[in-house]
Amino acid sequence: MNKKHFVFSLLLVLTILLTACASGTETTDDAQPVEEDVTLRVLVHQNPPMVAFMEEFNQAFEEKYPNVTVDMSVVNANDLSTVTQTRLTANDVDVVDMFAFTNAAQPYMKNVDPPNWQTLIEAGYLMDLTGQPFLDNYYESAIADAGTYNGKVYQINLGTVSYSGLYYNKDLFAQYGVEVPTTYDQLVSACETFTAEGIPCMTAGGKDGWPIFVGAYGLIGSIYPDQEALVEGLWTGSIKWNDEKSMEMWDKMKVYAQDMMEEGASGIAGDAAPGRFASGAVAMFAGGTWYAAAIESAEPAFEWGYIPFPGSDDPEDNKYLFGKYDQGWVIAENSPNKETGLLYLTEFSEQENYAAFVNAVGFFPTQPGVTLDTQIGREVAPYLENFRVGYEQYYVAPKGAGQYANPWASYFAPFGTFDDAEELANKVQEDLQSGLDANQ
Amino acid sequence: MRGYHFGGGKSRWAPYLFLLPGLLLYVMIALGPSISTTFFSFTNATGIRGAPVDWVGLDNYKEFLFMGQASRDNLSALGRTLLFCFFVTTIQFSLGLLVAVLVNQKLKGTNFFRTLYFMPVILGAVIQGLIWSLFLYPLGGPMDSILNFFGMSSEFFGGPPTEAFGWVIVVQIWANLGTTMIIFLAGLQTIPSELYEAAEIDGANKWKVFKNVTWPLLTPSVNTNLLLNIIGSLQAWQLFLVLIGYRNGTQVLGYLIYAVGFGQTSGSVTSSFRQGYAAAASIVLFILVLILGTTTQFFLSRRERRILG
Repeated sequence: MNKKHFVFSLLLVLTILLTACASGTETTDDAQPVEEDVTLRVLVHQNPPMVAFMEEFNQAFEEKYPNVTVDMSVVNANDLSTVTQTRLTANDVDVVDMFAFTNAAQPYMKNVDPPNWQTLIEAGYLMDLTGQPFLDNYYESAIADAGTYNGKVYQINLGTVSYSGLYYNKDLFAQYGVEVPTTYDQLVSACETFTAEGIPCMTAGGKDGWPIFVGAYGLIGSIYPDQEALVEGLWTGSIKWNDEKSMEMWDKMKVYAQDMMEEGASGIAGDAAPGRFASGAVAMFAGGTWYAAAIESAEPAFEWGYIPFPGSDDPEDNKYLFGKYDQGWVIAENSPNKETGLLYLTEFSEQENYAAFVNAVGFFPTQPGVTLDTQIGREVAPYLENFRVGYEQYYVAPKGAGQYANPWASYFAPFGTFDDAEELANKVQEDLQSGLDANQ
Repeated sequence: MRGYHFGGGKSRWAPYLFLLPGLLLYVMIALGPSISTTFFSFTNATGIRGAPVDWVGLDNYKEFLFMGQASRDNLSALGRTLLFCFFVTTIQFSLGLLVAVLVNQKLKGTNFFRTLYFMPVILGAVIQGLIWSLFLYPLGGPMDSILNFFGMSSEFFGGPPTEAFGWVIVVQIWANLGTTMIIFLAGLQTIPSELYEAAEIDGANKWKVFKNVTWPLLTPSVNTNLLLNIIGSLQAWQLFLVLIGYRNGTQVLGYLIYAVGFGQTSGSVTSSFRQGYAAAASIVLFILVLILGTTTQFFLSRRERRILG
């Protein structure tokens, strides 16, 4: 090989390498007019009814604006935050489905990290939507509670969901003459009846862990209806997880996890549980309202109802539905397609489109005048005025707190290792206290 | 014959220049991120470009090793990692050797079994996890039916943490047994057949042949497999994510790093991305791998020199 060829070959290799490593996209901050051809990159999380709705909506949007192509990506819910962060920082996305702004640091919390959404805003990745006309379509409270930071709006929230309810099998209840329970005693009695008949009382997606503790929110809520105050009480020491009031909750959680849940529930994945319930094999299913569409899809003729989990012996304490603001839309601040993104949200926020969306996914609307005209909508309508945001949306763990510092029913065997309620209550408080003490 | 292939003068730089692209790739893909991880372990980085990154000194290490009950939980995860490493390494190594010896026989159908045992290796962790989740489905899955036939039952991955942990060990071994087998098989096929013939003529039985011919001459494969098994099992995390998720009493260090780095520690809510803290945990894991890896390497090299000279 002569020298010229050698040097040329070497330069070629280096050029190929450096080209491969260079960024393939160039972006500008200038918003493009919608008259030009635009590909709007939208990111959503996996939720089959929502994805189906969005595909239809995107098609209609493209027909209305022929120069816009919507390129929608779907990721698993657990991966949404990671993918969002990666694509926002790479300027590779325009509109993102982001969960509501929760778990903010409160003045009484010491040495806690800001939530992810706050870091994204402070790093300049989310567009300020303040003053956009489509915000007027939504409840002010929803905009303020779920999408506002430091007085500026960064997200429109698309609805709330409840996770503290019980689905029940109407046929089985009728067949065995069991009344729909409104108190904890009635729930225990109903379970005993079904179990005696060889029918598992309750199921849930125990393999994923969280469906078990989320299903028991009614037990926490019946004892601590104000969950924001509960979190403050835990941080300031006025509430302990092993005090007398909390012990009632743990005793009931033990019954829920060990007596009410069917054998084998700890191996059922979260997305398989609705199908298990719809098969008619179990009497009840502890789960969120978002499962309704999956139940209907699995067995359209199946007759079911939905009630708040009766955690107390006083029916008045069982009137609350606990839940959260669910997903919302944000626009990437560095998107070259901001105007198209705003147009997309404007179109989505039109009452007709929004109503179709909530009815497809089963969210409780955050737009006035929109009703949830589905079975789950009708089932929860009597309780909506008592809707409350749950503990998990307020709680931030102190650094150094142990892994058991939460009121989760999934710590009980077979989902976890504990059999004794008092032992577990002491462990939970000890793990929390350890973190609180470490930050003094 | 010329002493130096590339000639004299400036041409002597040629091999170094040819090495340069590979070296650059190594720096970008391996060394660079390792150095960055060390740097980030002393910061409160979130992984979000543009977010402020403050120097926090040894705070992440102090928190990981000494702060509250969480640090004791971390040490438990460290212990669990070592336990996982011990079981996976010993079983996978022994089983891999046994299978390699079996599929090295001159019998019909050995190629089929070689393919069969190696097949799980080419599947990704998600597919491996899906297969085992279906196989071990506790409400009528194949394994459940077998256990029920014998009057037994199990919750498998959803059962008590020790049981779930045990099943991940099984899957990890199943998923990687093929690699161990193939390395042993390659080693077995380099042993000259004359040595076996000579041993047979000398009247050695099968065990003596294995002990005095096969085992010593497999030393390079033994060393490679042991190191790969130890390092691979210490760093394992994907199967924990796919099969169990974040669950108390089951985390190993590799999965803990992923969970804190990407906000997966708070049940159904995404918590803050603590990549500075996760980087500190990574360095702890790196030190563990380094100590175990170099110690093993030291003893294995000494043994290799003793046997093979």
